[in-house]
Amino acid sequence: MQTTTDREREQDLELRLRAYERLADQPYWPGAMTALDYWLVLAMTLALVIGFYVWGV
Amino acid sequence: MSNAELFRQAAERGDTPLLPGERLWGFWEFTYANSALAIATWAFLIGGATAAFVGPREGIAAIIIGNILGVLLVALPTCLPSGKYGVEQFTLLRSTFGRNGSRLVYALAVVLLTLGWLAVLGMMFGRSVDGMITLLKTGEAVTEPANGVLVSLLAAAAIVVTGLVVARGPTSIKFFNMIMSPALVLLMLVMLWLILDQHTFGDLLGLPPLAAPTDDKRLNFMIAVEVNMAAGFSWWPYLGNLARLSKNQRTSFWPNIVGVFGAASLGEIVGMLGAAAMGNADPTIWMTTIGGLGIGIVALGFIAFANVTSMINILYTSVVGLRQLAGPVLGRLSWDWLVAAFCVVPIVVVFAAPGIYDGFFIFLVWTSALNATLAGIGMADYFVLRRQHISLRAVFASPERSPFAYWGGFNPIALTALFAGSAVYVLVFNPQTLAAGPGFTLLSASMPAFVAAAFVQWAGTQLFGSRRFGDYGERIPAEPLAVVEPVVDPAVQ
Repeated sequence: MQTTTDREREQDLELRLRAYERLADQPYWPGAMTALDYWLVLAMTLALVIGFYVWGV
Repeated sequence: MSNAELFRQAAERGDTPLLPGERLWGFWEFTYANSALAIATWAFLIGGATAAFVGPREGIAAIIIGNILGVLLVALPTCLPSGKYGVEQFTLLRSTFGRNGSRLVYALAVVLLTLGWLAVLGMMFGRSVDGMITLLKTGEAVTEPANGVLVSLLAAAAIVVTGLVVARGPTSIKFFNMIMSPALVLLMLVMLWLILDQHTFGDLLGLPPLAAPTDDKRLNFMIAVEVNMAAGFSWWPYLGNLARLSKNQRTSFWPNIVGVFGAASLGEIVGMLGAAAMGNADPTIWMTTIGGLGIGIVALGFIAFANVTSMINILYTSVVGLRQLAGPVLGRLSWDWLVAAFCVVPIVVVFAAPGIYDGFFIFLVWTSALNATLAGIGMADYFVLRRQHISLRAVFASPERSPFAYWGGFNPIALTALFAGSAVYVLVFNPQTLAAGPGFTLLSASMPAFVAAAFVQWAGTQLFGSRRFGDYGERIPAEPLAVVEPVVDPAVQ
């Protein structure tokens, strides 16, 4: 049998799920990674791998 | 305590999604936390192992290449979903492996790894303090590894202190990291200065490997890269649960590059240069000889406390996961009891098998057969198959209503991918014997394992995945249904 606390806990989880569903329905997710982030990390990784391979081996 | 406060605390500990406004860490705080985790003395151990395989010039290249690839390929599939949704990493993993599959992965990747690392780092703490005592008593540096009862007792004490800090929750960890992280970076730079004070950088770069495993320099180099890639991939079980405490997705990702990659690489380079210069791979030995009595004591004290910081971070993230996945019996245990339960096995290990410290290297490479594979599955699943959207309602739905129920709570596709990736790893490189198979010198073993696992996950899901089997396909707006599953009772704290 559900206690009051159980019901409140379910309501709390429901509120949290809805908060994220509202975010997902927006066109922009606050603080999300952008294409520029991915390009930067790709460029940095390639530069480090190729640069240090050439230098070290 | 009000119910609202209890629910917030439960979310903080991983029972439910943390809302963006509830998260603790901004960019610099997460960077501090990551640095504290990464700059641990295992970095010195890995640096020492690198110095055994190759000379310092190749070693620096191997450390940078191995770490950037490992850290990047781990941070993308773990930190980005956890940083986006604020959900505990292994709870989110239900979407990929199923509820029971996620438990299996947790047992394989976290329980064994964390127990092993807690024991290794605890032993290192013990050896450091033992070395300090010897230095104080005799004024002479320790030159031989010690595994006596005193070292085991000290290791057990470090594990107990770790448990006590973690029992107080993430706020105490945040406080600990904010103080320790900058101090650790500073002390590591002092170590580097001491090494460079005794040798020129050019001389160091020209030193030979301590114990090259083969006559083939390219093979030795790739073994060194593989060891460092294994170190990078070994963050897989931990990063997601730290990232969920950061304020948003970008904040959950970039600090890994500064903190984990930067700090780990710095620590490993210092460890490698120290080992190469002093002729001994064990940092608890070479640090005692680097600068005399006073500096030796400070250095060993640094090692000891750096270990405890890392042990705290590891234990915290592991207990958060255990709490979610343990099932009803362990799930009803309080946070304090779960922390205590996690500390028992490492304490037994430091007394029963203290040699785990000296054999850490084989243990580390074995973990990469699993972690590289898990990272590959995560990349294919989150970025390609789900296009960065996971239904939290499905993650938290009761098993019979969830598309993540799969077969008895196991996703056979992901488990097949896990097996395939691990098999590819062992075929390409045997972690036990260091025997290299075809392609290893060019591709390493972690990368083929990563790609194989990603491909099997992608191809299997293309064939068998559906909206009802894994929630794959076109996204449907969420229904406000939901038979959500009862989570751990926050009142039982």
